[in-house]
Amino acid sequence: MRIIKIFLLWVLVGAASLSQAHMLNMTEMRFEVAEGAPAVLRVRVDLGQSGLMNPDAYWAAVNASSAAEQDERLKPALAEMTVGLQVLVEGEPTTMFVQSYDVDAVSLEAIGNPLTPQMAEVRFGFTGPQPVYLDQVEIRVAQTLDVPWPCLVRIDSFDGLPVSRLLTAETRSSGPVVLGVDGGLSNAGPLVSLALKFQAVLPSVSWIAIGFQHIIPMGLDHIVFILGLFFLSTKLTTLIAQVTAFTAAHSLTLALATLGWVQVSPHIVEPLVAASIVYVAIDNLYAVQVARWRLAVVLIFGLLHGLGFASALDAVTLPEESMISALLFFNLGVEIGQVAVLLLAYLSVGWLRRWSFYRTRVVEPASVTIAGIGLYWLVKRLAF
Amino acid sequence: MINLRRFLAILSVASGMFAVEVAFSLVPQNLLAFPASDRAPGEFPDKWIHGSKSAMDNQDPAVQVHRFNAHTYILRENKAINYEGAFMYVFFGNGVALLIDQGSTSSPALFPLRQTVDDLIVAWEEEFDQSGTQLIVANSHLHGDHYAAWNQFVDRPNTIMVGLTHEEVMDYWGFDSYPEQRIEFNLGGREFVVTGTPGHESSEIAFYDKWTDLLYTGDMFYRGRLYLEDWDAWAASIKRLRALADDYPVSYLINNHIEMTDQATVDYPIGTTWQPDEPPMEMSLSMLDQAVRATENISQSGIYTFDDFLIYNEVPWAYTTDP
Repeated sequence: MRIIKIFLLWVLVGAASLSQAHMLNMTEMRFEVAEGAPAVLRVRVDLGQSGLMNPDAYWAAVNASSAAEQDERLKPALAEMTVGLQVLVEGEPTTMFVQSYDVDAVSLEAIGNPLTPQMAEVRFGFTGPQPVYLDQVEIRVAQTLDVPWPCLVRIDSFDGLPVSRLLTAETRSSGPVVLGVDGGLSNAGPLVSLALKFQAVLPSVSWIAIGFQHIIPMGLDHIVFILGLFFLSTKLTTLIAQVTAFTAAHSLTLALATLGWVQVSPHIVEPLVAASIVYVAIDNLYAVQVARWRLAVVLIFGLLHGLGFASALDAVTLPEESMISALLFFNLGVEIGQVAVLLLAYLSVGWLRRWSFYRTRVVEPASVTIAGIGLYWLVKRLAF
Repeated sequence: MINLRRFLAILSVASGMFAVEVAFSLVPQNLLAFPASDRAPGEFPDKWIHGSKSAMDNQDPAVQVHRFNAHTYILRENKAINYEGAFMYVFFGNGVALLIDQGSTSSPALFPLRQTVDDLIVAWEEEFDQSGTQLIVANSHLHGDHYAAWNQFVDRPNTIMVGLTHEEVMDYWGFDSYPEQRIEFNLGGREFVVTGTPGHESSEIAFYDKWTDLLYTGDMFYRGRLYLEDWDAWAASIKRLRALADDYPVSYLINNHIEMTDQATVDYPIGTTWQPDEPPMEMSLSMLDQAVRATENISQSGIYTFDDFLIYNEVPWAYTTDP
């Protein structure tokens, strides 16, 4: 009977140890920092299986008759942890203190068996200034600190996704993790962190960049359209008038579409954008000078292109709380992109405008090419 | 009116662009096909490398690499390195490989998983004329015996690390309603269905590969001791797997461990590093049906024995103090 009992005990000890997980006694650290709350580092560690305490000492601490006695028994291990665990903020070591702890164990035998981990949780607070959004944090375990490996590090910061890192006996650092950024930007250098901070202060910068990208390199059809305008307008003032009309019009429809007031399917808008390119290019071939009504046509095409931008912008989520300013800065980026295209065009062929063959050798071949490209897009967008 | 010469010029430009596009589409892309309609065959080994009497004298490779088929590999950690003998999987698609689970040993010197996977990808790229294959490092569940070597991949270029927290896993796979949701995941043209299977661990997921019809059940269902931390969640997960198998053809259930012997109801003791009488790792749908029946009959915590697996249902810690 006793043998059966021992066997059952052995089975159940094993079962209990593994009923939640295999390799239960690995160490876990959780660093938490939130807006308006002090940072905390929680450490779950199998103290009786670590180099910090032997099973007897841990069992004695668990069974201490008073809190003071428990403090006294745990003091050397906790002091060693306080020194051996290092949290660096922006590359500078912080000063930690033991805030609270929970120690628990069901038996001395269980403590002595690595398959039946008896985990303690120790919570550390930080003195001095608290880490803030976009600070770089690094968690290290000193070579002198002996804890069961591996050690899973979880960093919860602000509203971002948690970041996980796995420390091992060989790799005892989490590496720098940027707080509040999904994925923590592994291996982010100080320059990246600085750039992110700048961006946090001036979110508009990123919207200008996104707007610019929607022209160069993503907005090939808009580039071609603007080039179409460029090749007809020999006067700078006419060109500026047309581009401004185009800009004002597409800003309006982009805003209306983004705010949900106007909705037109891309299946309609995209072929029309292509058609507008064909129209402008063919008009270039036959109009000797810019007709007055051309401005109105450009205005209408601008409205169309704005709807095109809106469907492209769908892929980017505008922040609800600052949608108007984000839109304005996006538009600004689009305009900078357009001006860049015009500048490049001027530098390439614009300076030939006074050449007597400018029209036959530059404008006409360019317009034929633009019309061909537009026609290709038109057929493709209608067919597919 | 537009004159003919200009019209033809415009038409030539447009036709030229079409011709270029057609020409590019005709260039061989070395695209691999993974049709869901036909079951891609594959083979399991007659016997897995199963440890040795003396772990010290073990001469087997640290990682056994088994080619199930041209684009599917099953890896097993040497039991002499860690008794868990955990299985890991590498699935290839066009331009991307998926590594699920990373074994029970962190040290690259003892358990060079990164090197093994890198070599595997290089050989595969060479064989199938592929390049720039991205690696996704994912996990069936978040237990240390299946991510111990995760760190070996963190500095690997062209690699996505899904992460080791519940939130990161949910975010990567796109779960809005875990665990019920079925996620359609496209691995470079190879289609998977991912669904939640908590019970053994609260972030566990199962992968169904439409190409091979393999259903990967991680640690929640395998030939061994099924340690359940949440019975209700596990019972629901088992039924969810059964429903998945009703909707999609399943060839085999594949998983993370072998702990049973080839004798029905008998398992190897915990910590065994030599298992000469292992049954196959893969499981059948009839075994899943047995688990479904178990979910209907078991209502209390305890240990329940079946031919091909044992259920350790919410066995409480208090048992460890039983004299």
